[in-house]
Amino acid sequence: MDAVVATKDVRKTYGDTVALSGVSLSVGAGEVFALIGPNGAGKTTLVRALTGTTTPDSGTTRVLGAHPEKTDRDRLGVLPQNFAPPDRLTARELLEYYTGLYEEARDPEAVLADVGMADAGRTWYEDLSGGQKRRVCVGTALVNDPDVLFVDEPTTGIDPAGRRTVWRLIEELAETGTTVFLTTHDMAEAERLADRVGLLADGSLVAVGTPGELVAEHGGPSTLTVETDAALETFADLEYPVSRREGTVVIEGISPTEIGRVVGRLEENGLEYTGIAWSEPDLEDVYLELADDTELARTGRGEPTLAVEAATGGEGGR
Amino acid sequence: MSRLTRIRSEATADWKSFLRRRTAVFFTFFFPIILIVIFGALVRTDPTGDGLFAEPAGYYVAGYLAAVVLFTPLSRMGSEVARHREGSRFEKLATTPLTRTEWLLSQTIVNAIIISLASLLILALVIVLTGAEIVFSPLLVAYIAVGVVAFCGFGAMLGSYTDSRDGAVTASNAIGLPLLFLSETFVTLEQLPEWFAPLVNLSPLTYFARGVRASTYPDTQTSAIAGIDPALANLVILAAIAVLAFALGARSIPQTD
Repeated sequence: MDAVVATKDVRKTYGDTVALSGVSLSVGAGEVFALIGPNGAGKTTLVRALTGTTTPDSGTTRVLGAHPEKTDRDRLGVLPQNFAPPDRLTARELLEYYTGLYEEARDPEAVLADVGMADAGRTWYEDLSGGQKRRVCVGTALVNDPDVLFVDEPTTGIDPAGRRTVWRLIEELAETGTTVFLTTHDMAEAERLADRVGLLADGSLVAVGTPGELVAEHGGPSTLTVETDAALETFADLEYPVSRREGTVVIEGISPTEIGRVVGRLEENGLEYTGIAWSEPDLEDVYLELADDTELARTGRGEPTLAVEAATGGEGGR
Repeated sequence: MSRLTRIRSEATADWKSFLRRRTAVFFTFFFPIILIVIFGALVRTDPTGDGLFAEPAGYYVAGYLAAVVLFTPLSRMGSEVARHREGSRFEKLATTPLTRTEWLLSQTIVNAIIISLASLLILALVIVLTGAEIVFSPLLVAYIAVGVVAFCGFGAMLGSYTDSRDGAVTASNAIGLPLLFLSETFVTLEQLPEWFAPLVNLSPLTYFARGVRASTYPDTQTSAIAGIDPALANLVILAAIAVLAFALGARSIPQTD
């Protein structure tokens, strides 16, 4: 697969702060690549390095085979993270404005419809809600029907329905061969959209792979969480690690087909339980595992309870 | 053709944005009005006296025009560049085919339209309120256009090198006010200390004021430069400054962080 987006040993510092520390990656044609990582990990700096809006201290970056500053801009679509377009233009006028900057561009009405804003075309940008504003901003990155789309946190502030509209849009673009490079804090977004995910922490790319590969490698075991006061010895003869966490018993690595054994053991011993939930690891577990390791290395203070909270969720499952 | 399309698209967006900021529109045109009302109608000129406004009314037309040609682009461009930077608009534009020169040219066109309208208002008011007798020379249009280009360039630099919109506006006032009064606009060379006279030549606004005065108010004695008619010579100097300021202004616009 030819690399449409590529970096090699990219390093960028701001004073004493290392934003990127030797990042190398490649993204193929038509691939959707999601970059995840904590705040300050270097995601936006990497996007800027790839779009030619920051100059790395060292290393190489290539987009569509050229240095980012030399890339054919008619083929690029970019949505910066904190983008705020002129606010006294209507949504339609904004898209017309950006349309006018390209050699060939789409019909602004069609773009408005794509981002679910057809009904708000005559509203000034400043009068739109936060989510609507972000949708219009996404639209500005699509007016030229780009071959490569860089979107930095595209769905931040957008409600769930609007988020799904943007997701469908990105999926449709990917189906037509557009290469998409996105950053996000929404693990569901990365898991749904991305062919591959890269986790950036402290300026380093600590893991890259398909969501499935990352989960298999770093997500940890599946867990059965039982809300009970039962002693751990009750489950002593199960061949799985058992531990107690915050009023629950957690059994790791157990198959869902064996949940009946656990319930049987509780009932045999006359023990009460108020809830039981089985969960598989997902990208959020990967994120917490790897990003937390980095946080721990940096600050000496991790968040060990987070994994449990995330694993059990509000209703004990995901 | 596509370059023209880009410039038109950028200029249209900027023009609409300007028109929809009512306070900006109001004060853009209120500024020259109040200037003429205060200096032309209230303070009044006193050709027989030796005060600040001792020249005939026609002498000060160049000063009134200089005020809008200086302040409007300087403050508008300064704050516009800062606003673009704060909203990551340059980061976005840097990834489109629009170049920095095209962006600045678009902004300059909008400023030229605004300042031309303000200049017409000034000329009408100054004739009605002060009875100034001036000549309408085609060179006046050229001076306004070239002056706008020059000060849009300076304004772009100001916005690029200050770290916020507030900073840009404050800096434009701090730079603009001394320039306005020390560029042979309202204060004649004779009223300034002798040692200061060479410094007046460092102000781009001086060439605007001298040239406009030479074009519109023939009664005044504006010196020829190297034997060339001052109305033309000052325009050439101002044009050279404008080209340099525009190039430096476009170059200063941030494309990277």
